[in-house]
Amino acid sequence: MQCELLYQPVSTMARIRLDAGEQFLVEPGAMIGMSTNMDMKTGLAGNSQSTGILGKLASAAGRMLTGESFFQNTYMPQGGSGELLLAHTLPGDMVMMEVGDHGLKLQSTAFVASSTGVNIQAEFGGARSFFSGEGLFLISATAQRPGEQLLVGAFGGIQEVQCDGSMVIDTGHLVAWDANLTFNVKKAAGGWIASYLSGEGLVCQFNGQGRIWMQTRNPQAYGTLVGSMLPPRTN
Amino acid sequence: MNHQITHDPAFSMLRVDLQPGETLVTEAGAMAAMSSHVELEAKLTIQPNPGMGATLGAFFAAVIRKYLGGESFFVSHYSTTTPGTVWVAPTVSGSIVHRRLEGGQIITLSAGAYVASAGNIECIVKYGGLRGILAKEGAFFLKVIGNGGDLWFNSFGGVDFIDVDGTYIVDNGHIVGWEGDLEFDIKSAGGGLMGLVASGEGLVCEFKGRGRVYIQSRNFGSMTGWLLPLMP
Repeated sequence: MQCELLYQPVSTMARIRLDAGEQFLVEPGAMIGMSTNMDMKTGLAGNSQSTGILGKLASAAGRMLTGESFFQNTYMPQGGSGELLLAHTLPGDMVMMEVGDHGLKLQSTAFVASSTGVNIQAEFGGARSFFSGEGLFLISATAQRPGEQLLVGAFGGIQEVQCDGSMVIDTGHLVAWDANLTFNVKKAAGGWIASYLSGEGLVCQFNGQGRIWMQTRNPQAYGTLVGSMLPPRTN
Repeated sequence: MNHQITHDPAFSMLRVDLQPGETLVTEAGAMAAMSSHVELEAKLTIQPNPGMGATLGAFFAAVIRKYLGGESFFVSHYSTTTPGTVWVAPTVSGSIVHRRLEGGQIITLSAGAYVASAGNIECIVKYGGLRGILAKEGAFFLKVIGNGGDLWFNSFGGVDFIDVDGTYIVDNGHIVGWEGDLEFDIKSAGGGLMGLVASGEGLVCEFKGRGRVYIQSRNFGSMTGWLLPLMP
């Protein structure tokens, strides 16, 4: 598999080249073009290791909880190599990450595609992710062997920062992080009132050593601003 | 205080490295990330230690700003006891511009363009009157006065500047701010009543004098206006 990212960072598109026999898992709606020899199979999304129909259903339902699709598309070229063009919904950058030994955690809408060796699972983040405004569930990506890849999309540019001990990230700017980092939700300022008035509210504090990817725009804040200038929904 | 603007021009983000004793002030809610030991306080004024009178004045200015100017009521003050970093991202897509202000230099910003400041910077909310309302930039402007300080402001889209010597016309939704000895008037783009109604330009701002006008390559009001008829 070869990946080339084009039109970065504003309207990023990924050109994926698959060799014969290689497969790629793609979030429904992310494909914008492909060579005609590409075969697409739609299946239940989720942990490829789940056995039995019930396990698969439970796993797919878990993905739905993260706001991702119940289904996932697997692309495989027939008779030689093939090409896939992929894009994220929002204007912004995409990045190809190696899943690595520790695995990665993603904010739920960041997932675009992955190689087939990556296990994608919904993970209950508990009250801390509820309070952090990212919904109750996160995506956990793990891989059995090195070299497994994950394609992630963001709103705005993507900035990688190194967490060296501890680091605070605004919840609306969070894209992905190394799974060995721990996080807890805390007040942005010293007191509750100051946190509220500062407009930051609750933030995520990460602890440990690892990488964090953040997006340079906050989709929720942008949507709220645009929404405030539009008429209310009538239905 | 070192700073860096990255991801320009579409999704600019500001990174500021704070030393002990330094304070960074930003618009509310603009923090994207920070070192966990950096302290955040919500305040009414951009000045770190204003007197009682200034605080009262700032309170009324803040109320006016909140309800009429489209800016947030409070600003965030960041300080630290050991070196730390703050990343600041505005809400809309576009650029961030840095400007060092010395010796009482003044920049007037349209409502919503202020991102952050540091050092000796003072802000006054200025009533733009009917001109301000007609200019679609809100009835209020932010007058920023610097005596050795840094100012960062943002735009929707790319930002460019025009050095005016004489007169220059700018479409009213594209003004980010201006500095120097400039005055502006609202007028029709030309062509009489037909030009006013049918040219799609409506009213424009004519700047007179000597100075610099900052313009943005996109107009937020036009974008939401375009979205409006597409809503179900």
